[in-house]
Amino acid sequence: MFTTGSKFLIGAAVLATVSAIAYGVAQDGVMGTVGLASAAVALAFLAGINIYTRDSNIWDDEISSVETAPAASRPPANSIWPMAFALGAAVVTVGLVTYQAVFIIGVILLLASGAEWTAEAWAERASADAAHNAKVRSRIANPLEFPLAAAIGIGIIVYSFSRIMLWLSKTNTVIAFAVLGVIILTAAFFLAYRPGLKSRAAVGAIGVGVLALVAGGAAAGLDGERDIHEHETTAGLSEEGVDICLSTEEFEADEKASQSVAASANVAAEITLEESGTLSLNVVGPLTEGSNAITLPRSNPNNVIFINESDEERRLSVDLGTRASEEDGEDEVPFLMCTALVDPGGRQNITLTIGAPSFASPDGYSFFVPGVESARVELVVP
Amino acid sequence: MSNSLLKRHPLRSASTVTNMSRRARIGLVAGLGVLVAGCAQDAPQDTWDPAGPNAQKIHNLQWPVFAIAGVVGVIVLTFIGIIIVRFRDRGQAIPEQTHGKPALEIGLTILPALILIGVAIPTVGTLMALNETNDTECIVNVTGQQWWWEVDYAQQDGCGGIAEPIVTSGQMIIPINTPVLVRGTSRDVIHSWWIPRLNGKKDMVPGRVHTVRLEADEPGTYAGQCTEFCGLSHANMRMEVIALTADDFEAWKAQQLAPYEAPAADTLAAAGESTFIAQCSRCHQVNGLEDADGEPVIARPDLQVFSGAAPNLSYFTTRNTFAGASFDLLSDECRADVWDSDPATFGEKYLEGVSADCLNSVDLREWLRNAPAKKPMYTDAEKLEQTDGLVRGMPNLALSEDQIDELIAYLLERK
Repeated sequence: MFTTGSKFLIGAAVLATVSAIAYGVAQDGVMGTVGLASAAVALAFLAGINIYTRDSNIWDDEISSVETAPAASRPPANSIWPMAFALGAAVVTVGLVTYQAVFIIGVILLLASGAEWTAEAWAERASADAAHNAKVRSRIANPLEFPLAAAIGIGIIVYSFSRIMLWLSKTNTVIAFAVLGVIILTAAFFLAYRPGLKSRAAVGAIGVGVLALVAGGAAAGLDGERDIHEHETTAGLSEEGVDICLSTEEFEADEKASQSVAASANVAAEITLEESGTLSLNVVGPLTEGSNAITLPRSNPNNVIFINESDEERRLSVDLGTRASEEDGEDEVPFLMCTALVDPGGRQNITLTIGAPSFASPDGYSFFVPGVESARVELVVP
Repeated sequence: MSNSLLKRHPLRSASTVTNMSRRARIGLVAGLGVLVAGCAQDAPQDTWDPAGPNAQKIHNLQWPVFAIAGVVGVIVLTFIGIIIVRFRDRGQAIPEQTHGKPALEIGLTILPALILIGVAIPTVGTLMALNETNDTECIVNVTGQQWWWEVDYAQQDGCGGIAEPIVTSGQMIIPINTPVLVRGTSRDVIHSWWIPRLNGKKDMVPGRVHTVRLEADEPGTYAGQCTEFCGLSHANMRMEVIALTADDFEAWKAQQLAPYEAPAADTLAAAGESTFIAQCSRCHQVNGLEDADGEPVIARPDLQVFSGAAPNLSYFTTRNTFAGASFDLLSDECRADVWDSDPATFGEKYLEGVSADCLNSVDLREWLRNAPAKKPMYTDAEKLEQTDGLVRGMPNLALSEDQIDELIAYLLERK
């Protein structure tokens, strides 16, 4: 029953098991024991296969085995997929104890190589004709392989491209890719006017270019992105204690305002600075006639549109009483929010999420326009 | 019947016929059971019992649509049944197959199309009519969060004039025969607001404001519940609309704007006020409540709760449900007395609120003892990494029985 090969493997498995036990008892740490135990399991598995295939030997008197025994079947062709599959399994194992991304890459590798391996193994048994089998395999696998390979290739190129762009300064990015565009166009013209050029040379040139791009992308990715300037916002400046919400001056936050698009579908109220210098209110539903107060729900994002009908740049500010200082968390500092400066005739949205009721502030809450004394309305938050 | 079946199908054994008859009897009983279930009397969320103009519009549409769909369904199922019985495989030869019957095929295409057009025209008309809110005379904001509804009334000329904002929860109070504009949104996930007897359902999406027109013909209680799955206690997220006459609505507004009255000194309720400040006021607002130094006690649920809100308890016992309208504040007998009263006396009984005699102290005590055990909520601090420790619902405050007694005494005076 036990063939020569299987005896060797069984012996090796037993040796690995004994070594694992000895290592575990004698040494600190478990990695050696885990490694030796894993080797024992692998060797025992191989021994089992060897017993089943009887060392791939066929006895002289078993004529029928010449055609039916596993050892008599046609050996599979060389393939990279078993190796890729094993690599995938290893990456999955490493990923389990390191990073989720590594685990996911391992799973993808495992699935892809498993699918390829399965398709190849199936195609090899389609007929006795190797050429026909290869054709069968292509017919099955190519419709999946080509789009996937193209998607992965394009993804790598785009990612490399983006890494390089984020690594270079804004000016150098423009220069670098203008030069690259010129090179590509020149190469295209060259190829178009030299039809005699060998296609292998063209493919080689493109390959070198793609390799350079990927290498550049990898290097840029490792070096990190350039410092990207974060533009000021009215909320950020207000939190830092800058009196932007009390000011009529223009700040960087006013130049780079990004809240100019109104959330028109979800407006809680429109507040208009009239030419007369007063604020008029427009809310959904029957607001109290001539009311100088607006009610907004608590702890809920409320979109308020500020419309500037005056002939000067103005901002709408909200006085929300005081809050604890960012620095020490104890001192009370004014709590203000505001829009950026709005051009005459322009409009801007401000989203307010207010956690405390207005009666928490001795003076209540209010909307006002810096520089226009008469422009103030009460904000009620129940 | 059995004999005739045996005659028509000689291969069928008598025992098979008996089995079929038993199945038919079981089916008949089950069908009757379903039919009888439709006659339930205690069905407060019945779309077939409209109580306002909008619900009536839906009702006027659903009856003919249901009738058409029912007739079509019965015809189709009858034909399928006949075909299954008459042409089942008995080993007979496959009959001649015919292809191409243009008249039949065109007819079977045009007929369903005409039926669908016949259904679509009134459906679109009804949808447009339901969407109309220009005639509303009163605004009520409703905000969903896990797992209760906040209702607030902004200062306005509508609703007979509201001088100061009113905030309540679980129950929305509206005047009868007055078109009300409900402006709804959500503070956390998507909820859906539905009072079946008054109008259709409307999803409430965070960051958006959705409008619904409500109008009730008669005073009474109209029940509803969240109809968009919103997490652990979705099934326990209920709400009610209370419709009152104009006079009763004015009385209700006066209740909600009454100044805070501190409990008399050295009473159980006074001890409850201190317990409330120590244990509850971090999240629950009671308007006018002041601490020992005379400073107003301001709840900051935005620092404790994921949604940023907790029910305002200023006039807790003027409403008769709690915990997202999951539980009655009234005992069964008192609740029935209010719910089953005739429209003429309903408002008066509702406005009485909850007295010590009528209090459903069993559910309220259990709630105060361990709220998450009463209604499933995400309140285990160790499992709130995604919300930076903010709870979704009311946590177990580990109150003692004495503290619970004090709180109940205090809350009973909140009206």
